Amino acid sequence: MSGPTGPSGPAGPGGPAVFDFHTLPSDDNVNPYTFCVDLHGQWFLQKGKMIAYFGQISFNGIGHGPLDRLVSGSFHSPLHASDWVVAEGQGKMLLADRAFDVNSYDLEEGNLTIRSGNLLAFEPTLSLKQSIIPGFLTLIGTGKFVAASNGQVHFVEPPVRVDPQALVGWADCPSPCHHYDHQYMRGVMGGVRALTGLGGASGEEHQFEFSGAGSVLIQSTEVLMPEQATGGVPQQAGGPGGGQQGRSGQPGRTGGQTPRMPGQLGDLQRRFGL
Amino acid sequence: MPFHEINSKLVEARVVPGQRLFSQRGAMIAYRGEVSFTPNRASGQGGVMSMIGRRVAGEAAPLMTVEGNGTVMFGHGGHHIQVVELDGDTLCVEADRLLAFDGSLEQGTMFMGSQGGVMGMVRGQVTGQGLFTTTLKGRGSVAVMAHGGVLELPITPGRPVHVDPQAYVAHHGDVRNKLSTALGWRDMVGRGSGEAFQLELSGDGAVFVQASEEKL
Amino acid sequence: MHPDRAAHDPSPARAAARPGDGPEEGAWYPCSWPDKFTPVAQFLLQGGKVLAVTLTGDAVQAKNGSMVAYDGQMAFKKMSGGGEGLRGMVTRRITGEQLTVMEVKGQGTCYFADRAADISLVRLSGEKLHVEASNLLCTEAALRTGTTFTGVRGAAQGSGLFTTTVEGSGQAALISDGPAVVLRVGQGTPLQVDPGAYVAHTGDLRQSFQSGVSFRTFMGEGSGEAFQVRFEGDGLVYVQPSERNTLGGEI
Repeated sequence: MSGPTGPSGPAGPGGPAVFDFHTLPSDDNVNPYTFCVDLHGQWFLQKGKMIAYFGQISFNGIGHGPLDRLVSGSFHSPLHASDWVVAEGQGKMLLADRAFDVNSYDLEEGNLTIRSGNLLAFEPTLSLKQSIIPGFLTLIGTGKFVAASNGQVHFVEPPVRVDPQALVGWADCPSPCHHYDHQYMRGVMGGVRALTGLGGASGEEHQFEFSGAGSVLIQSTEVLMPEQATGGVPQQAGGPGGGQQGRSGQPGRTGGQTPRMPGQLGDLQRRFGL
Repeated sequence: MPFHEINSKLVEARVVPGQRLFSQRGAMIAYRGEVSFTPNRASGQGGVMSMIGRRVAGEAAPLMTVEGNGTVMFGHGGHHIQVVELDGDTLCVEADRLLAFDGSLEQGTMFMGSQGGVMGMVRGQVTGQGLFTTTLKGRGSVAVMAHGGVLELPITPGRPVHVDPQAYVAHHGDVRNKLSTALGWRDMVGRGSGEAFQLELSGDGAVFVQASEEKL
Repeated sequence: MHPDRAAHDPSPARAAARPGDGPEEGAWYPCSWPDKFTPVAQFLLQGGKVLAVTLTGDAVQAKNGSMVAYDGQMAFKKMSGGGEGLRGMVTRRITGEQLTVMEVKGQGTCYFADRAADISLVRLSGEKLHVEASNLLCTEAALRTGTTFTGVRGAAQGSGLFTTTVEGSGQAALISDGPAVVLRVGQGTPLQVDPGAYVAHTGDLRQSFQSGVSFRTFMGEGSGEAFQVRFEGDGLVYVQPSERNTLGGEI
């Protein structure tokens, strides 16, 4: 990259690199928290995740008429339709999510299931479906998608037991089953909880157990990334929003819901899948 | 038993029979093998004194014992994790910043008031920690959490370091602490405010400071 | 890194500081600096989220309360934002901006950080930096800060119509939620930015308000239009990998 030409030259020693339309990476990370999509055509994009773009790009809601064919081919999650838009055109588009780590993943005739709040964008060559596990989405086919995580994603191979709240997703292996740690539940806290109902569920007494061959994706948090209601089973550990109420008092990035415009039905609408 | 740093927010520990770990409750991310997690408030050796210490200090940092045979990954709230290796010296750390530590380390609580008299008493209120701070002594590893990563500043004789109590994480070595206030600082934050003070650490050792004034 | 600065690195982050393995006395500290050294604050990043400023009797302005640690002797003084004098007073009145800035003066190294935000250093040589007031962490004393009317973007953000300007020659430290990406806008390559991700800009740039982005979805949800800011001309724009909550900028 050539040095700064104008009077403004902050890219001196120790300064951040400067990117222009041409030097921005193509379908790659700009830094660990920003991903650049080189758009030629269409991408599905979760609302609020585009921070800047060069070029001619238009954004339309999933329900927009001319996109019907695209949506019927690739987007099979009516519960999430109101959270997604289609970016269409030519240009370079930067994606980010509340300074969380972002990464792209390539699927080749494969499938990967991911927590709905972690998925930022995907190519229409992939098909999106709702997973049988509440709060998770499954991507099937060949193509690229972009996902966020709190801290870098760590890949582990089964057999492994994972705190449901630290789970980002899984690929190739069978869907997980529940595992309860009886020793923990018999312990002091478990006893207190059983008697008083206080304390909430924690990852030590209930995990998702993975077996078989494949990969499990883990993020380093016990606080769920704030996510949109996904029509799952509320008040249940491991489900979307499960135990979230009790945790919302924790510091960090909880409760980052975007304000709603008047007249929006918001979560209610999502829940009914309208 | 050292912690293996997977990334800045995840550590992995190997658990073998006969050795145990203590960790903050809820900090387990994933595990393999046969590992059990037993919640305990008094956390082993610290015993009754340690428990009373926490009670008095209002420190609610429930720990659990991790035992068995396997590997366990720890992380919490997306906070950065700093692994500190102790080689016989003492680490002073706020209880709620402890993510996990070697079970062989000797736990204690330090009465901050014993250092620096009345000012030390005030300090407990300043940091919001109460008068007790957890100490860990011996040989082993400690995983400490901080908001936004930590900076380790050396403390050398004749060169004390002043730390914003909100950003203080931990310190080790032969270090004395007292409260001080910088010129003009008190006018700025307002008199009588708890934030009007800095921790002055002097002696020989190091202090860990986080990149944030936010408490965990 | 500047060779001089490397030699006088005031604060080896995560230095081996175990007892018995202590640092060589005086190796890093300004007290060992040559007399001919001119007192200019040295800005040095410590791992991206902590700024170490070495002072030799001079002063810097910093966001109020952003000091996390210091060694040596430091004095703090409260200042009000919006610049000095009558103009500053008027702009403060108009903007209602409670820009809380402190002046830090002394001998030693002062460490600044703000809620784990990432820090970018900007070296100005005469040009003007526009920055959201909340994104300015620290400026050298030689730089002048003021407030300008920016209209458009302010309206979209609902946070007032004014941003802070920094002018002169010297270093400034910006903070952002996640490391900022610096984007060059040139002729023929205008840039559209989510107002919530905007941090700062320099250069000869025109801003315009763009609301051509529509979300037509079922039942009219999100029929409100998303706002974007369009930058045209020649200059640099700093964006952060995160969005503040805005009423516009829904995408």
